[in-house]
Amino acid sequence: MTTHLATERSGRRRGRSARNPAGRAGYVFVSGYVLLLLAFGVLPTGYAVWLSLSNSRNQLVGLGNFTRTFTDYRFGPAFLHIALYLVVWLASLMILVVLLSLMLHGRMRRASTSLRFLFYLPGALAGVASVLLFLILLDPAASPVGWLLKSFGWNTLAQVNAPGHLPVLFTVIAFWTGAGGWIVVMYGALNSIPDEILEAARIDGASTLQIALRIQIPMITKWIAYMLILAFAAGTQLFVEPQLVSLASWGMIPDSWSPNQLSYQYAFQAGDFNGAAALSVDLLVLGLACAALVVFRTGLFERDER
Amino acid sequence: MNDDVPVSSRRQLRRTAVAVLGAVSLLVLAACGSADPAPTTASSPDAFKPVTQKEGSEITVWADATRVPGVQAYQKAHPNVKIKIVTYSGDANGANDLQTKVQLFDRAGSGWPDVAFSANVNDASWASQGKSPYAAPVNQGVVSQSTLKGFADGALNPCAFNGNTYCLRNDLAQNVLWYNKSLMEKFGYSVPTTWEEYQALGEKVTKEHPGYLVGTAGDAWSPEVYFWASQCPASTATGAKKVKVDLQDAKCTRMAKLLDTLIAKGSVSKDTVFSAGFIKNQASKVLMLPGPSWFGQVLFNSTFKTPKGQIAAASPLKFEGDAKNYTGNVGGGLWFVSSHSKNLKASSDLVTWMTTSDAYQGTAGTYPAYKKAAVTWLANQKKTGYFAEDVGPVFKESAELIWPGWSATQYSQEAIYSSTVVPALNSGKTLTDTLDTWQTAITNKAKSLGYTVN
Amino acid sequence: MRRKHHPRSLAARLAWVIVMGLSALFFCVPVVWLLLAPTKTDSQIVRDNPFSFGSLGAVADSWHHLHAFQDGAILTWLLNSALYTFGALAVTLVTSIPAGYALALTQFIGRRVLLTVTMLVMLMPTAAMVLPLYLGMNAVHLDGTIWSVILPFSFFPFGVYLTYIYFSSNVPSDLLAAARIDGCSEWQVFRRIAMPLAKPVIALVGFFNFVGNWNNFFLPFVMLPDSSQYPAQVGLNNLLAASPLFNTASGAGNQIMRPELALATLATVVPVLIVFLFSQRALVSGMLAGATKE
Repeated sequence: MTTHLATERSGRRRGRSARNPAGRAGYVFVSGYVLLLLAFGVLPTGYAVWLSLSNSRNQLVGLGNFTRTFTDYRFGPAFLHIALYLVVWLASLMILVVLLSLMLHGRMRRASTSLRFLFYLPGALAGVASVLLFLILLDPAASPVGWLLKSFGWNTLAQVNAPGHLPVLFTVIAFWTGAGGWIVVMYGALNSIPDEILEAARIDGASTLQIALRIQIPMITKWIAYMLILAFAAGTQLFVEPQLVSLASWGMIPDSWSPNQLSYQYAFQAGDFNGAAALSVDLLVLGLACAALVVFRTGLFERDER
Repeated sequence: MNDDVPVSSRRQLRRTAVAVLGAVSLLVLAACGSADPAPTTASSPDAFKPVTQKEGSEITVWADATRVPGVQAYQKAHPNVKIKIVTYSGDANGANDLQTKVQLFDRAGSGWPDVAFSANVNDASWASQGKSPYAAPVNQGVVSQSTLKGFADGALNPCAFNGNTYCLRNDLAQNVLWYNKSLMEKFGYSVPTTWEEYQALGEKVTKEHPGYLVGTAGDAWSPEVYFWASQCPASTATGAKKVKVDLQDAKCTRMAKLLDTLIAKGSVSKDTVFSAGFIKNQASKVLMLPGPSWFGQVLFNSTFKTPKGQIAAASPLKFEGDAKNYTGNVGGGLWFVSSHSKNLKASSDLVTWMTTSDAYQGTAGTYPAYKKAAVTWLANQKKTGYFAEDVGPVFKESAELIWPGWSATQYSQEAIYSSTVVPALNSGKTLTDTLDTWQTAITNKAKSLGYTVN
Repeated sequence: MRRKHHPRSLAARLAWVIVMGLSALFFCVPVVWLLLAPTKTDSQIVRDNPFSFGSLGAVADSWHHLHAFQDGAILTWLLNSALYTFGALAVTLVTSIPAGYALALTQFIGRRVLLTVTMLVMLMPTAAMVLPLYLGMNAVHLDGTIWSVILPFSFFPFGVYLTYIYFSSNVPSDLLAAARIDGCSEWQVFRRIAMPLAKPVIALVGFFNFVGNWNNFFLPFVMLPDSSQYPAQVGLNNLLAASPLFNTASGAGNQIMRPELALATLATVVPVLIVFLFSQRALVSGMLAGATKE
């Protein structure tokens, strides 16, 4: 509320430069968010980074926690699992989400509304609510997709949850619950491309494929970049899917399958918050590396794109 | 689209990189402490010093939804005791909610519940450790000695650390040999009394009645059912945070071989009894099933829906060379009194009532750890008329037969077995082949939690 | 109208139908199963055909068992969830929409820093944030209050980015410049020009914020000490833990089995779907409104 009053005051001033048309108003618009960012983003992150560099007696230990967790017997396997998972997950998410959004966008609007709803449905089932579902879904004897599981030669819950299947299994679950949301976002992005541009291209004789590759995808690059950054981070921080399947299979998934789970084990089983923070910072660095790459390649931070 | 990184941001990037590198090297140089997590101080057997007591103050009780009605009954019977009841998961199915929250309370220095129930029988192993352990040593003037003596022999073993008792046991889950009396009679078999007879019968079943089962090895608690009974030193505490793990011991390999034989024959399943597949296809073909006392109602009655009058329990099996039969234990809840409680008197009174009273324990779902309550409980079980024979004598006998060489640890044997051994079994390996992998998994996990393994 | 101008080959249309059909099956089959589950008894769920229909009487039975759990706790959980999520939703919209707008369409010192920091914080694994957040709440004595949940829920960097990308790729800054030349104050530019165009992104941000918070388990689990404050996800976790399916110490006579769990799941999912339908309408109508204006 105070935000608005202040805006009125500062906004009145005239003669702003072209580079800085809004004057100080920008600060006012971001002020509410900045407060939350400091309190619930920057401070906790800062504290977590401090934890990763210190020990339980509050002494600075440099990279000690990092080397210590690096030599943990679970560290290598956890990151290997994640690497495998990321390959399957990123490939399927990026390709299928963009493809499905393009297909939904090109055709009958009415059908596409219902389809988006259907695709989104599982997204509402994230978290604890879906444990029961996986309890049945992954057990070929009672599963609604039992015929499919059996056609792969998996006849029991334990065979479905065999260690080698896990990266793909988690991808399917994550895609099932997560893709619908991204399809909605991508569809919205595609919708914001003016019809005239597409019409013009069609009149010039461009095929659907050419339009998609040359016009639509380039025009939603920022959205795709954003999805890539978040999907990469979400992939490295995989936690919910292995926990759910573990619950639904009475513990057949190791409790430290992913690095984020390992971090959780450090914090809440061993009471070692410093080691846990070090693992989280590892993941943060991975996510940042990916983000930096994508931001610089796509100009995500550039203001005047078109 | 700008494919090239603008020069300015590239320079910026380089500058940032240099700054970050500088900061990191500074931090490495600045290191002055050791990165080891808090050196594990074995809780000293010093006298327990309660915090300043405040008579009549409200106590907070954490219990799972199954135990809450009991707490409410206590509240009703004791209207002048102020109780705040909080329902939580009770650490069922491998959750560690209590530990998670207590870790945070320890950091914040407040918030501990005065009384907490846990369905995880291993929970005392962390609650008794640390600089100021969460659990109060109840034997030091919190709960009377006569009450502690009233528990079944060995029932308080999972609570005992460094000569103190850190919890009261809610229920026992002693293993017995469950069998389907109607089927046994139909097939003309007699109930085995030794593991050798059990194996012979298992082999005979596959020949005469293929498809029928005498056991399962895919359950998380298979180690407690089979290997504990076989007196296998998979989890033997030899001191504070010291544990012996030796799966190549003859007492482990004999059980692994026995199970391997029966798995190969097909009369021991690699499934878990609670999976939908097992319930649908195999539940009606269970001839015998070594397992905990709660199998009777929870598994056979509620889950398998086996009709009344078929299921009976027999004494735990013994190996022919052994002098005595031993058995294991699968779970059993614990009650903690907080060492931070401002009203130890009310807390201990509640915990005592919850674990020992006939009014509550006599009708509880699981076998009471308190001997006197168990008598009432068994009488009530008889009244249900579900079992083909009175399970009382067998339950009472096996409650005292739990092999003391298997200790509660901070890590869960069940989690390790189901994530290491079960997948291996299902990929076609034998238990005997998997013992080394299993041993490594236990050792690694134990060491990661600060245990010394030998 | 597009179809009229550009009739496609039969093969393309067939491919469309097949891909969409398979995707719809993939996303919906488990949901259909879930819808049917409460109509059956526990043993029917395990033993019968997964797609068989039981009876409406069974739904009533399951509801009775579910409602009997802790004297109708399920309703309390849903109410609590609604309180936390809608409270957070209001704060989120008021803070993140202007912030995303300012990041996209105004230039100020620290803009890049803000974008970078937001990204950095967004990439931090939540497991590491739990302890700092808990200690922080404890330090300001907000632990145990509803604010310890609503305030962290309101911090929504994901939404700030959505708004930022939306404005930066959809609203030309010329449009705003023109308004400023016409004498609009910054507040008027935001209110009169940007906001009407922002309807779709408001719907998106609002929706994702709602769902994310509705389904959040860990934060309320850590922050709230009292079971009467639990939101649906924490409550559901207790319900699962109380079921003999997962809790072998629960004893017999416990009525929470598969049909009850399925029904509880559905009850917690329905609000999300309602919000989805509403926000979809805003999303699409906003898009169209924006398109005609241009």
